[in-house]
This record gives sequence, structure tokens and C-alpha cells, in this order.
Amino acid sequence: MSASDAAVLPLIDDAWVSRPTGWRAVIRSFRRFIATKRLGAAGLAIALFFFMLALGAPVVARYSPDQVFEAPNPDYKTNPSISDLAKNPNVGSPMLVGRQLSPSGEHWFGTDNAGRDIYARVVYGSRLSLIVGFGASILAVAAGVVLGVLSGFYKGWVDLVLQRFIDALQAFPAIVLLLLLVQVSEPSVRNTVIAMGIVGIPLTTRLVRAGVLGISANDYVLAARSVGASDARIMARHVLPNIAAILLIIFSIGIGAYILFEATISFLGVGPRNVVSWGKMVQEGRAAIDLHPWQSIFAGGAIASLVVGFNLLGDALRDWLDPRLTGR
Amino acid sequence: MYEYVVRRVLLNIFVLWIVATMVFLALRVLPGNYAVQQFAGANLGSIDPETIQIAEKELGLDKPLLQQYGEFIGNAARLDLGESFRSKRSVWSEIGDALPYSIELGVLIVLVGFSVALPVGLISAVKQDRWPDYVLRGVAIGALASPVFWTASIAVIIVLKFKLFNIDVIGQPHIWEDPTGALKWYVIPMFAGGLASTANTMRLLRSQMLEVLREDYVRTARAKGLRERPVIMGHALRNAMLPVLTVMGLTVATIVGSQIVLEQMFNIPGVGRLLFQSIFLRDYPLTQGLVLVTTFVIVTTNLVVDILYAVLDPRVRYI
Repeated sequence: MSASDAAVLPLIDDAWVSRPTGWRAVIRSFRRFIATKRLGAAGLAIALFFFMLALGAPVVARYSPDQVFEAPNPDYKTNPSISDLAKNPNVGSPMLVGRQLSPSGEHWFGTDNAGRDIYARVVYGSRLSLIVGFGASILAVAAGVVLGVLSGFYKGWVDLVLQRFIDALQAFPAIVLLLLLVQVSEPSVRNTVIAMGIVGIPLTTRLVRAGVLGISANDYVLAARSVGASDARIMARHVLPNIAAILLIIFSIGIGAYILFEATISFLGVGPRNVVSWGKMVQEGRAAIDLHPWQSIFAGGAIASLVVGFNLLGDALRDWLDPRLTGR
Repeated sequence: MYEYVVRRVLLNIFVLWIVATMVFLALRVLPGNYAVQQFAGANLGSIDPETIQIAEKELGLDKPLLQQYGEFIGNAARLDLGESFRSKRSVWSEIGDALPYSIELGVLIVLVGFSVALPVGLISAVKQDRWPDYVLRGVAIGALASPVFWTASIAVIIVLKFKLFNIDVIGQPHIWEDPTGALKWYVIPMFAGGLASTANTMRLLRSQMLEVLREDYVRTARAKGLRERPVIMGHALRNAMLPVLTVMGLTVATIVGSQIVLEQMFNIPGVGRLLFQSIFLRDYPLTQGLVLVTTFVIVTTNLVVDILYAVLDPRVRYI
């Protein structure tokens, strides 16, 4: 079925069939989405998989992400002489910190430079990526709704001034803006989310504004106004419900980008502290990348697959909710 | 037309002023300043506050904020960006040293992106919804989702594993000074950066081609018995290229100053790395100057592209 058919179907439903309401309608349209958008369904499956990882991390991860493992010392001697000790001070200890072990049945992805299980850290790292992706996207969309509705609904000088600020934010290289913002206060998860939400504002505001402008030009808005509806009522009853689809699209398409942003600033060493971050793991893995590439490979692979999932989901949602944009 | 250009230029100046103000404020909000950051490695408690005060006075950081702001904007309006705190050289000469590296990298990335995306996008469009299309689109989806530092790391792993060549990040030769040395240095960042650029360009070219292939003049060309090859290359591709070229031009503009990750990883002394370090050191004049210059390049490229568009395509009208 092509995208244009999907757009026509709801109309036919309206005319001929009594439509299910409430949850049943949601389930119904969800089923149709799964059936018509295979790639989107795959993306949703990937995203759900990482959700399960994040929620079930204590069970799935097998070990704590901070547990330091030991490995038998290959040079161990029970009664080392002084000269042995002078050559290798660790000769006397039977066990050493198991740094940079290769993948095995015990450590599926190997261990990192500090002897921690990479698989456990990859599993726990999904939490930060999901929190940051969702948090930043929610913030950016919320701010975008407020600014975009103000700008698109009131037009005039509000619009003009606001749009110039949006222009300025957009002309600012995103990564530089982010680098400035994340260093303003201590590097915590919350502050990272806020900084990334701000970086997303120009895009969300523009898209919401365009949507509001389009909706406001409709006759039913004029009709509502002519029977004396207040601005607030027009906004709540006519404009907002009609841009809900746009909001969902903006929200879902942004998530992947925010996950990549977080990974990038963590890679550069200015990401949130005291949490497991995939970006930071790739950076740490570079220290011994010639002998022990596992950490960089697995952590980066996790970023890429989660982002693939959200991108597929976002693209499919966009095509499904707004068929005019198909193929863009 | 004239009126439109003048208005756009004035708006751009206004935007640049807002950007200047934002970067000025953001830098002052950041904890610490250059004088404090200088001693950040040492134990802060043991440093005489007077030492810091003297250093601040030397840098002009003791002046009231409003005066600092006025001087910055006033000087910037006269194209004087001041001196870097660290090197004591003018910001312009710092930029002059860094810019060639960034432009080299940017041009190489776009070249890779374009030369791969052109055939790949064409094949994908011509074989729409058959397996080559699916494979290529799948690769593009993966490439867009992969962080550039990861693809670069994988490339490093491969090069080291198979001992393909020595990655030398110390020499920093320009491509016109030592082509082979520079290529060995640039080849990984250029392909890692080019991958994402390829994916974007390929998707754009594909969707443009699909649109153009449905046009009447393509059908006419086929109907008059023209072979498939000249139809695709002559009629369709030519018309699909204009938006692709525009996006590539804009990419070069945005790449300069935003390749912080690749420049950090491979020790390329370009604008992005300089910007990153200057923010870290709280080297106010250098950060301000670099942000203003990169923003200026982006804003101006946008304007030029819009004007060129109108010149090339008379259907475009100014509002």
C-alpha cells in the first residue's frame, strides 16, 4: 500500500464505518502502522529492545557496571626472589585486575581499561542515551510549541523579533552552542538534557510555527473567530489538536539526533559525569585501540543501532502522519 | 531584487549582533575565566588571590561587563577581533593559520561525499524498490546513525590491524606541501566525515531523481526514442543536480568550525579544534572571534545561495 492510500483510508472510515473510539482506536491505528510501515515497525522493535535493556539492566547486565574483575596473573610465582620482584613488582600476587580482557563466555564483550565488564556497561549505558534522547526532545518540543504558537498565531512584531533570535540560534554552529551550554554549570545529566533541549529549539519552533500558520489560514479558524471565540479557545480547540501530528513527528525525529549529540560531547570529555555513557566508552577505548578495540567497537555499535531504530521510527511516523512529506 | 538583498544584508547584520551578544554572555556565564583557568591544574587554595587579580587586570577582565561588551561590539564592528589571551597574537592571524586546515578537510569531505553519492544515488533512483536500492538505502540509514568518532575509530582499527599505513598525526603537512603525507593524515577523517555527507547527499539526489524521472520532458525524451543512458544522464540528472549542489555548498560552509571531533581525534589544527580549546581555556576574544567568523560564513553562504537560486531559476520570486 502506498502512502497516499494510507491518507485516504481514515476518510472512508469516517463516512461508512462507525469508528472505534478511545483505546481501541489507538490500538487499531497502531496495528495499521505496523502493517503498512515495515521499516518503522523494525525501528520500533529496536527502540523497545533498548528500553527493555535499560529497564531490566540489573537482570540483563549480569554484573554491576562498576565491578572490577580480576584475572589470574600469568607471571605468578609462589616464592618470588628479590630480583624477580625488581623486574616485575606484581610477580607475588596470584590475581591481577583483569584489564582489557578479550570477549569470552564470562565477559561477553571483554573488559575495559579498569577491569570492568564492557557488556554490563553497554547495557547500563542505554539508560543515559534514552533519558537524554527523550528528555531533550520533550524539552525542545515544549519550548517549540510555546514559541512557535506565539510566533505563528500573533504574527506581527512578536513574530519578527522572535524569528531573528531563532535565526541567530540556528546560525550558531550547534555543537559550539552545546559546548558552551554544557559547561555553564556542573556536568550532570539534567544540565546536559537542558542544554540539548535549548539547541533543539530553533528547529522545533520553526516547524511548529509553519504548522500554526498553515492551520490558522483555514476557514474553520476564521469561522470560529467570527462567532466570537477567544484566542485561547481557538488555540486549544482548533490549532493545537491539528498540529498534534506535527508535534509527534518533530518529537520522534529529534530523539536520534540528541542521542548522537550526547555521545559526541561525552566523547569530547564534557558530557555528564558519574554515569556510564557510550560516547565516553568509545573515547576510553581509544587508549589501547590497537590491541583491544572491543570497547570502542561495542559502545559505538550500540549508539549506531539505537539511533538507527529511532531514525527508522521517526521517518515512518512522518510518512504515515504526513504523506505529503514522503521521500523527503 | 536590490531592495531584497539590502534587507537580507541588514537582517544578517542584526543576526550577527545577536550571535555576538549570545556568545559574549555565554562565555561570561561559564565558571572561571582565563586567569583562573590558568591555575586550574594547581591546587586552587594555595594560589594567592592577588596573583589572579593581577592576571585579570592584565587581560582587561577587571573592567565592568558593560564596558567589555561595548569594546567587543565596537571593535568587532570595525573588524578588529582583538588578541588571543593565550598566544597574544591577533585573532585574525590565529584564524588565518587554522582556516586552511579546516577548508582542506571540509573540501575533502565534500569531495568524498559527492563522488560516492553521485553514482550511488543514481543507481538507487534508477533501480527504485529493487534490491540495489534497498541495500544502498540500508547503508545510508546506517551511515547517518553512526557517530563520526565511531566510524573513524573503526577505520583506525582496520588500518592498524592490517598495517595499511602509518597514521602520522604529528607532522601536520598541508596537502600542497606534502601530498602523500597529508593524504595519509587526512584519509581517515575524510572518509569518516564523508560517510555521513555521502548518506545525506545520496538520499537527496535519489529523491530529486525520482521526482524528475516522472516529469513530462523525461517521458518525451524516451518517447522520441532516446536511449536510457542519455535520458538519465542528460535530461534527468542535470535537473536533479541543482538542489544537490546547493546543499553541498552549504555543507562546506557548515563543516568549517563544526568538525571539532575529527580535528580533535586526528590532531588537525583547524578552526573546530581551536574553538574547542578556546572555550575550554576561556580565551574570550578567540572564542568570540571564531564564533563570529564561522557564523558570518554560514549566514553569507545562505544569502549567496538564495540569490544564486533566483538568478539561475527565474521562477523563484522574492517576497
